[in-house]
Amino acid sequence: MRSTATARRSAADDRLDRAFHALGDRTRRTLLARLAKGPAMVTELAAPHAMSLAAVSKHIRVLERAGLVERAIDGRVHRCSLAPTPLKEIESWLDFYRGFWSGTLDSLARHVERGDGSRR
Amino acid sequence: MVPDAESPAISLVVRRTIRATAARLFAAWTDPAQIVRWWGPSGVRCTGAEVDLREGGGYRIGNRFADGREVWIIGTYERIDAPHRLVFTWRLEPGPDHAERVSVRFEPRGEATEIVIVHERIASAEARASHEAGWDGCLEGLARFAGDA
Repeated sequence: MRSTATARRSAADDRLDRAFHALGDRTRRTLLARLAKGPAMVTELAAPHAMSLAAVSKHIRVLERAGLVERAIDGRVHRCSLAPTPLKEIESWLDFYRGFWSGTLDSLARHVERGDGSRR
Repeated sequence: MVPDAESPAISLVVRRTIRATAARLFAAWTDPAQIVRWWGPSGVRCTGAEVDLREGGGYRIGNRFADGREVWIIGTYERIDAPHRLVFTWRLEPGPDHAERVSVRFEPRGEATEIVIVHERIASAEARASHEAGWDGCLEGLARFAGDA
């Protein structure tokens, strides 16, 4: 039971690691921003970038591995679309710590404003 | 938004102005006897704190959640610049084994101090090297899109 929960948590964690890694690159974020407007072919995605189609494809593969992009292949046409799940997981991570830190700073403010900080 | 060149593009920033000096707040943040008295949001009880306040030194803080679960926050001080700045790694035990980093700045604002917390998940060396501003808005846009999907 416990090991199942641990395994599940670490799979989610691995996904989050891949998503943060994928998002840590300017070119990949630009690709995602383009896909946020709607699906696009790999050639369309590559057009605004001063790099080869192969280089852009490599970035897209990183995004695919992170689950951020899905690719549908129809003959020779590769159409990419944005996949929302990892973004939702990132939002959950941000939400948890946003709540944790704002609550913790409330506690700190109460602590110092009470004057506890000057006593043993 | 995040001034450090080594910061990754994605980080959480929380700010709060508190009516106390930076020295007082820095002490509250680094003295274990004080940490146990204020640490954590409401619903979390601090069950213990140990601090080895030197760069490379470790800390651990116990957190008991309302459901009885106890989680230790464990890390290493990477930078100590009293009373202005504190940077430390962050890991939960039990919890996943990945690197996070928290930077706390204490910035004087008249008679008060603004605390700025930057909490980041360290994705990779590549991520750290590619810092830039403006990603937050982009992420919001993507999240909205994701929410609509």
